[in-house]
Amino acid sequence: MSEEHREPEGAGTSTLGNMVRDAAGALVFPLIAIVFALLIGAVIVLATGNNPAAAFGSLVVGAVGSSLAIGRTLLYATPLIFTGLAVAVAFRAGLFNIGGEGQVYIGAITAAGLGVALGFLGPLGTLVVLLACILTGFLWGAIPGFLKAYFGAHEVITTIMLNFVAINLATYLALEPLSGGGLVPGTATIDPAARIPYIGLGLGRTNYGFLLALLAAVAVYLLLWRTKRGFEIRAVGLSPGAANYAGMRLGLNTVLALAIGGALAALGGGVEVLGVYGKMTIPFAANLGFNGIGVALLGRNHPVGVVLGALLFGGLTSGAQEMQFSTDVPLDLTDVLLAVILLLVTATKLVELIVGKRARALAGTRLEGSL
Amino acid sequence: MTERQTGGGTTEAQAAPVVLEMRGITKTFGPVKANDEVSITLHRGEILGLLGENGAGKSTLMKILYGLYKPDAGSIFIDGEEVEIHDPKDAVERGIGMVHQHFTLIPPLTVAENIVLGAEPRKGVTLDAEGAIKATEELSERYGLKVDPRSRVSHLSVGVEQRVEILKALYREARILILDEPTAVLTPQETTDLFTVLNEFVADGLSIILITHKLGELLGVSDEITIIRDGRVVDTVKTSETNERQLARLMVGRDVSLRAEKEAPKIGEPRLVAEGLVVHSHTGTVAVDGVDLEVRAGEILGVAGVDGNGQTELAEALAGMQHVETGHVHLDGEDVTSLGADDRQERGLAYIPEDRRTKGLVQDFHLYENNALKTYDEPPFSKWGWIFPNVMRRRAAENLRAYDVRPPDPDARAGSLSGGNQQKAVIARELSGDPGAIIASQPTRGVDVGAIEFIYGQLLEQRASGKAILLISLELEEVRSLSDRIVVLYAGRIVGEVSPDATDEELGLLMAGRGAEEKSA
Repeated sequence: MSEEHREPEGAGTSTLGNMVRDAAGALVFPLIAIVFALLIGAVIVLATGNNPAAAFGSLVVGAVGSSLAIGRTLLYATPLIFTGLAVAVAFRAGLFNIGGEGQVYIGAITAAGLGVALGFLGPLGTLVVLLACILTGFLWGAIPGFLKAYFGAHEVITTIMLNFVAINLATYLALEPLSGGGLVPGTATIDPAARIPYIGLGLGRTNYGFLLALLAAVAVYLLLWRTKRGFEIRAVGLSPGAANYAGMRLGLNTVLALAIGGALAALGGGVEVLGVYGKMTIPFAANLGFNGIGVALLGRNHPVGVVLGALLFGGLTSGAQEMQFSTDVPLDLTDVLLAVILLLVTATKLVELIVGKRARALAGTRLEGSL
Repeated sequence: MTERQTGGGTTEAQAAPVVLEMRGITKTFGPVKANDEVSITLHRGEILGLLGENGAGKSTLMKILYGLYKPDAGSIFIDGEEVEIHDPKDAVERGIGMVHQHFTLIPPLTVAENIVLGAEPRKGVTLDAEGAIKATEELSERYGLKVDPRSRVSHLSVGVEQRVEILKALYREARILILDEPTAVLTPQETTDLFTVLNEFVADGLSIILITHKLGELLGVSDEITIIRDGRVVDTVKTSETNERQLARLMVGRDVSLRAEKEAPKIGEPRLVAEGLVVHSHTGTVAVDGVDLEVRAGEILGVAGVDGNGQTELAEALAGMQHVETGHVHLDGEDVTSLGADDRQERGLAYIPEDRRTKGLVQDFHLYENNALKTYDEPPFSKWGWIFPNVMRRRAAENLRAYDVRPPDPDARAGSLSGGNQQKAVIARELSGDPGAIIASQPTRGVDVGAIEFIYGQLLEQRASGKAILLISLELEEVRSLSDRIVVLYAGRIVGEVSPDATDEELGLLMAGRGAEEKSA
C-alpha cells in the first residue's frame, strides 16, 4: 500500500557502505526464519522424545564437524547452487522458472550420453560435454521463453509441463538407446579420465564442480549487474512499461532470461553426472530442480544469497544423516526444518507479526509484491 | 484525557465542534523528519485543505491518521477523545475514510463488489450480491455520485474509479474523509463535479481533509487551509482571507511565478513532422486518425484536448513505441517511421511520458540506473556489452544536481522520491542528452508548484536554444502559457489550430469536437 518508504534490496551498488547495508538487510529475514525454524524443530524433537541439544549437536557435527562432513555439505550444495541460480535469473526478469527439475535431467542425459562417447578425449572431453550441457539447457529453457514471448503462454504452466517431457525423455534415452546394459538401470559409465576430478583435501567426493558452481554465481552476478543484457533483464523484470519505453525488447529478454536459467540448471545436471555418479542412473537424483526454487527464495534471488541458501540446504541434508545415525530423530526432521524456513521466508506477514515492522523495513522485502 | 489546552493552530472563533485534532505529530524516517510537531484541527462540516509541495509531509501525516504509520510522538483526538490508531481497521471503525492517490480497487470485480469488499452483506455464507448492488445504488443516489453498480472496475474511467473509492469510504460510514490529491487524475470538468459533491458532503455533516498542491482548487472549495513545508506547519489560514500569491509563498517559502515569461520565438526549420498518421489503440480501435503535425525549431506546439482523444497514442507513435498503421514520422528531415524508440532517441528525440510511475522510471531502480535507462548501451556507460555503474553514477550525480532533483543521491531508488522529484529526474535524463526535438506529454501532471515552475523554465530554455517541442497537455492554462501555436485533438483528429490568445470559448468548442466546421468556413 505505502510506496514511500522503501529500503534498498539486494545488490548492484558498489560503494562498500551500501553493499554492507544491503547485504545485512537482505540477510535479516532468512536469519530470523532459520532461528524460528530451529525453535520449532526443537519442539518437534522434544515431542518425539529426544533431546534437542543432542539432535542439533549431531546435525552441526554432520554438516561441518569434520573435513569429510564439510565435503558432504559442499557436495550436496553444488547442484542446488546451479538450480537456485536458474530460478534467480528468471525471477530478475519477472519470470517464475519452475522448470529446473526437467532442465537438470536434460543436462544430465546430455552429459551421460556425450560423456560416454567423448570419454577418450579426457579433460578436453569434460570441457566439451559441459559446454554441450549449457547449450542443450539453453535451448530447452528457451522453449517456454518463446511460448511466453510470442504466444503469451504463462511460463509457470509451460515450465511445469516441460518437466514431465524432459524427465520422461531423459529416462527413455537412458534406458533405451543409451543404456549401459549393466545391473543398475541407466547409461553406460563415463571414462574416469573425462570426469570432473575430486578436490581432495580430505573433502571426500567433493569435486571441482563446486568451484564451477561458485564461478557460475559470480558469472550471474556480473551478467545481472555489469552487462547491458543484465540491465535489460532487470529493467524488464521490474517494469515492463519502462523497459518498453526505453526501447528494450521485452520478448527477447524474456526468452534469454529463461534460456540462461535453463543453461544453468542443465549445467548443474551435467556436473552431477560428471562429478558424482559418472553415469545417469534411473531414477536420477530427484528434486534438485524443485529445491532450487527454495534456495532462490531463501537467497532472495541474489547470487550470493543463492550460494548461502544452497550451503544451508546442503548442510542440513548432510547433518541429517549424522543425526539419524547418532540419535533416534528421524531423517524427515530436516525436511520439516527446511519447510518451516521456507514458509517463514515467504510468509513475511507472519514474521512481521512476530518480530515487528522494523526488521521488515530493514529487510525491505518485496517478496509479497512479486509473488 | 486532558481537556483541550489550545494547541497547534486551533482557532477559537469557530462555532462548529472539533471532530479531529492531531497534536504535535512527529515522524522520522532515518535521518529525515517527515513530520515535525505537526498539529491540525478539523471542524465538523468543514473542508480543511492540506497544502504543501510534494515531499512536504502531507501524505505521511494522513497515513499516520489512517493507521498506516505509527507516529514517534504526538496524539490524535477524535470528538475530543484521545485515540490510538494502530491500523486502517481502527481508523475505519472511528469513521475515518481515505481515498488514496493511487486507487486500491480490484479491476476484475464489479463496482458493487469493490464497495462492499471486506464488509460484505451476507446471505448465509455467500455474498448477498443483490444486497451489495442495492446498498451501492442507495449510496450513489444519496450523495449524487453516479456509478453503475454492475459494471466492472476495469472498464471504468479514472474519474468514475475515484467515485467508487469515495463510495467505498462512505459505505463504511466515514465521517472524516481524507482525499489525497484527488484532482491529479481528473479532467477539469470532473474536478468541478467532484467539488460540487464535496460541498454536498459537508452540508450533510461530513468533514473533509483535502490534500493537494494545487492552489486554485483549494481557494474554491476549502474553508481553512493548513500549509506544511519541510514537515512543519507554516501557517493555518482562513480561505476567505487569503489569495493564491500568499499561499504560494507560504508553501514554497519564496515568491513564485507560474506565468511563463516568453521571449519572441526564433522559428527555424521543421524538426519533428507527422504526415497522415494513423495509429491503433491497444484494443485495436483507431486512436489517431490521420494527424498532420509540424513542429519547427524554436517553437512549442501545444496539443490541447480532453483526455482519451488519442494523446497517448499520438505521443507513443511519434516516439516509436507504438506501431504506425499508415503515415510517416520525420525527424530532422529523415523518415524514422520504421525505427524503434531507441533509434529515434539516438537521433535526438526526447520523450517525457505522461506516466512516470509505469513508463518514465523503473521505480525499483537506483536513480543512476534510471538516468541511463535509454543510454545504458552507449559509451561512456557501456563498451563491449559491459556496463559501468560508476560512470553512470558520476553522470547521474551531475545531472541530478543540475536539475535540482532532491535528494541528488544517485543511489536512491526512484520510487522513494516525491512525484515532483521523480518528474525532474525524468526531465533531467531526457533533456541532458541535448535532443533536437522533445515530446512532453503532460509534463507537470501531479507535481507541485515549485517543480512546475522549474519544468516550465526548462522547456522554455530548450525552446530558446532552437529545439522543437511538442507539448501535449490536459491543462488548458499550461498549453496556453507555454505554446506558440495550439492545435486541438479531438477523436484522434486535429480539429483546429488557434493562437495562444484564443478565448476559452473558442478552445472549449474545439475540444468538444464542435467548431471544426466553423473554423474552415
